[in-house]
Amino acid sequence: MKKNLKNNFIIKAALILAPLVMIFLTLFLGRYRIGIIDVFRVLFSGGREVKGLPIEISTIIYQLRLPRAIAGAFIGASLAVSGAAFQGVFRNPLVNSGILGVSSGAAFGASLSIIFFGGGLSNYFFSFAFGIVAVLLSYLAGRIYGSTPVITLVLGGVVVSSFFSAFTSLFKYIADPYSELPALTFWTMGSLASIGYKQFIAFIPMFIGMGMIYISRWKINVLSMGQKEATALGLDTKIYQVFIIGGATLATTSAVCISGTIGWIGLIIPHIGRMLVGNDNSKLIPISMSLGACFLIAMDTASRIISSSEIPIGILTSIVGTPFFVYLLKRTKGGGWK
Amino acid sequence: MEEILKVSNLSFSYPSKNIFSEVSFSLRKGEIICLMGPNGCGKTTLLDNIMAILHYDKGEITLMGKPIYNYKRREIAQNIAYVPQIHNVVFPYTVEQVVMMGRTAHLGYFGEPGPKDIEYCNKAIEKVGISHLAKKPYSQLSGGEVKLVLLARALSQNSPLIVMDEPTTNLDFKNILLFLETIVDLSKKENISILMATHSPEHAFFFQSKGIVVKAALMSNGIIKDFGEPEKVISEENIKTVYGVNAKINTEYTENNHKIRSITLLGTI
Repeated sequence: MKKNLKNNFIIKAALILAPLVMIFLTLFLGRYRIGIIDVFRVLFSGGREVKGLPIEISTIIYQLRLPRAIAGAFIGASLAVSGAAFQGVFRNPLVNSGILGVSSGAAFGASLSIIFFGGGLSNYFFSFAFGIVAVLLSYLAGRIYGSTPVITLVLGGVVVSSFFSAFTSLFKYIADPYSELPALTFWTMGSLASIGYKQFIAFIPMFIGMGMIYISRWKINVLSMGQKEATALGLDTKIYQVFIIGGATLATTSAVCISGTIGWIGLIIPHIGRMLVGNDNSKLIPISMSLGACFLIAMDTASRIISSSEIPIGILTSIVGTPFFVYLLKRTKGGGWK
Repeated sequence: MEEILKVSNLSFSYPSKNIFSEVSFSLRKGEIICLMGPNGCGKTTLLDNIMAILHYDKGEITLMGKPIYNYKRREIAQNIAYVPQIHNVVFPYTVEQVVMMGRTAHLGYFGEPGPKDIEYCNKAIEKVGISHLAKKPYSQLSGGEVKLVLLARALSQNSPLIVMDEPTTNLDFKNILLFLETIVDLSKKENISILMATHSPEHAFFFQSKGIVVKAALMSNGIIKDFGEPEKVISEENIKTVYGVNAKINTEYTENNHKIRSITLLGTI
């Protein structure tokens, strides 16, 4: 028992430390070479000018690499943990963080903003608003039969997603091919390139959403037994469903509105978590956060390094993640899936 | 004996269809009721009403002497556990993790199981005799083993009453016996009351032969056609009128001279 507690502490510490270490490491990496000692000197200067060092170095570390890495941690954690929560609540290992139409709603909002309002800051507002609207519509569509069984909710999400995707396609079709279309396309491929401290305000809803999922993580196990059994086990299923879906929606929408759509993380990271610690959401939720954060930081760093013009991160996550997932599947012999 | 559950004049209907009406019976501590009746006669709906998953139109259900609507959701679950008929395995949780979910009703809003819950869970696993499976994913178990896991989950709920909806569906006859024997054991040692929907008249006879107080309730066309001692309720006549089947009830004796009844089905009318 004592050993168990000690182990628990080590694991918890590792889960929190891993993203921090990743954030720290990315400060050294990039196409502009900065020596180790210089990084430390800049870090300890607190943003002020360091004697004998060009000001660009401080700018690169404080204005570019650091905010991107921190944002990567938050966004990766949000997407991964929301995916894990949705999988549990919807009793379906194949759903991802965009299942209720968040991503397509947000993409619609962004395209609306780019075409009719000239993009810029209104992108964040519109994509956030329409991400939430899409989930509400999915919920309403799922209620057509009077109650909200999980399956009609998922169907509602699929229908609403394709509705918004259709409009996004329409906007791409009518977009100006030299100015608007590239912005739109780039948005739908995801990128952390434009993130600075201004966007950090989105961390607040992400933090709240993740917190909501984190505190109810064990209840996700019970919900995944199905509505009837969960009720018989003593859970007010409706309340927890709305609470967890609400948290996941808040976290995903806030992430997507500053990064664009980054697919894949919300589906595969929870599965990698399942292979490593099993399906108990008490453990799966924290490890999904940590893995999601580390993974997105790594992918973002790679996207900065690989070529001089950045590779959109959504592309990279799929290319790198898929073989890694297949490898893990083989290593863990499917992790208990039959 | 203490009355655990009392159902009086209960009626339930869906908007377009009446399911059952004027259903009354009561269940005392340590007793087993076998609820029988043809497919679609409303057994599952009745059980759902008793667990307050569906809400009846008329009548009353009292649990430990108090109307069931005075209970909160988790209080109901502290008093009634449930073993489902069909359980879809979605995530390969370990047996321990599944059984632990029985502790939900004893935890706070955002609580997680603690050492005391682990103890309850281990005891429940031991009682149904599946300790050797505790660390295994329950997706890899046989149908009979999964049923025992679900029974262990119900036990860890630590409730005086367990509702079971055709728990032996899909099991081979050895596993059925194993399940029934586990129930007999629990009923004797823990004094748990059981309300069990079943299609097999032999279950009631089996419990009786093991010296447990068992009653049979025969449901048909939305009413309880007959309720009481198994040999009175499960009669050749009742089977003929309710199921439309000609049958013969036989009496046999086990090795140690316990009387056990069985049923031979002769054909439909």
